[in-house]
Amino acid sequence: MQIKDIMQTKVVSVRRALSLTKLLGLFREFHSFPFIPVVDGNNTLIGVVHIRGFFDIFKPYHENILMRNPLSLVAQEDTDIFDVDIEEGMGSLIIVADIMDKKVVKIEENQDLKEAYELIQLNKCEMIAVVDAENKLTGIISMFDIVMAVSKEKGLI
Amino acid sequence: MNVILGVSLIFLFGLVASRFAGRIKTPAITGYLIIGIILGPYVLNFVPKSVIDVSGLISNLALSFIAFSLGQNFSRSVFQQVGRQVMWISILAALGACLFVFVGMLVLKLAFYTSLLFGVIAAATAPAALIMVVRQYKAKGRFTEILMGVVAIDDAWGLIAFSLGLAFARAIYFNQTSNIMQIILKSLLEIAGSFVLGVVLGAMFNLFGKYMKTQRDLLVYTLGMLMLTCGLALHFHFSVLLSCMFLSAVVINSRRENFRFFEALQNIDWPIYLLFFVLAGANLEVDLLKDIGLIGLVYVVTRMIGKYIGTYFGAVISKADSDVKKYLALAQMPQAGVALGMALIAKSSFPQVGGMIFTTIAATTIVYEIIGPYFVRVALEKAGQIPAVSAAAEQVMEEVQA
Repeated sequence: MQIKDIMQTKVVSVRRALSLTKLLGLFREFHSFPFIPVVDGNNTLIGVVHIRGFFDIFKPYHENILMRNPLSLVAQEDTDIFDVDIEEGMGSLIIVADIMDKKVVKIEENQDLKEAYELIQLNKCEMIAVVDAENKLTGIISMFDIVMAVSKEKGLI
Repeated sequence: MNVILGVSLIFLFGLVASRFAGRIKTPAITGYLIIGIILGPYVLNFVPKSVIDVSGLISNLALSFIAFSLGQNFSRSVFQQVGRQVMWISILAALGACLFVFVGMLVLKLAFYTSLLFGVIAAATAPAALIMVVRQYKAKGRFTEILMGVVAIDDAWGLIAFSLGLAFARAIYFNQTSNIMQIILKSLLEIAGSFVLGVVLGAMFNLFGKYMKTQRDLLVYTLGMLMLTCGLALHFHFSVLLSCMFLSAVVINSRRENFRFFEALQNIDWPIYLLFFVLAGANLEVDLLKDIGLIGLVYVVTRMIGKYIGTYFGAVISKADSDVKKYLALAQMPQAGVALGMALIAKSSFPQVGGMIFTTIAATTIVYEIIGPYFVRVALEKAGQIPAVSAAAEQVMEEVQA
């Protein structure tokens, strides 16, 4: 079975210029989404935004700069959401491009379901974005979809 | 006391030390170093000899990890992301420190290769101390971003400088009778060998990496390949640091998905670093401390001058703000993990002078750890990065709302 046979094609995606306030609104509406894909004008997948990105914006510097130096860890991580400085107006000043993750895990729609399963396992996530051969976003596939498809095949439902 | 018991004590005391260090706003690494001195042969003598004897093994492993992670910085996306200013400043500040410390040590009439080793160790900085200050004062702005970029990447330049310096120093030390051409040839051979080893294994790493299907496989595969690189480098007398850096540079640039290998390693690297730094403390020859006064002083002063001048020129070339020119060097003073690691290698490669080098670096690390944060704070304050000065930002907010 191919991924495109069972993937969800109704996907909420955003453009990179969307404001934080609107983004949070989207998350609230579709609270089951662990992430929202980010696309450009041609529907090409350019990143994803996780709710985790929200923690990073209020830090004094971009944490990802330091990810590449193993000794930058300090004893106590005070990355505390209760302690962030949020000033009024920031909701419209910060946009998706500021917080999106460009290391996006994706899979092509023509690939086998088993490969999607393995990729989800490997990345310890719940769902991944599905693209076509030109890297355009066509859907999303979750562990739940895979379990359902397999159950159906085995005659459980 | 058996090895396992010794290691367990190191882990548990190290944990307590890092918590305590966090409480008094000091990086964990300083805590490990000090607990190492306390547990070591000069104070409590809790670390069994059998554990000290495997220091070489642990430090090779820890430094392979460090070199492998730092090698990630040599990827295309990083070069695009950090930009020209960070590149110029980090390279020239590292070079400046190398050069000034080297000359300073020559003036003190130390041997050529000893001076060279001090010089190349001086390039490294310590991100942890800096992050603590930045977080504590909630500093933010362009200056802070440049500073973070510089400290994240300059350890990578430092490791390269150190590997080259070490190859050269080794060639001088072991071939004192031969002529200069032979020495240069020997060191070039070591560097070229490391390059070939890293590139070949990196290509292999990438080739078979796509068959790894679970997190467990990823971790075991990464560890296996990294140790293979380290082991072969040791076998052929190449540079472990350079080989591992070339390995990771090839891996990170080969496929986008390869960042997973680095993330897999992050799950297990910290206990190794803990062991490494506590053992570094335990290896400190406390009785040498009284002899290093002048060398230590010259090292601290020339390193500061070198960092300052290097940063200044880097800022001029890359057309950075005047704040960056004036104050960024101050914030690059802290020195810790990477410098200690280099000094430990120097200690094991040059038994005669290594102890003195290591003791000097360890002692100055503690000095820098005490004065460093103060300098960082002054630099951030002067550059207007500490939020009391964010009146301008508030004005922007008001305009946006209006």
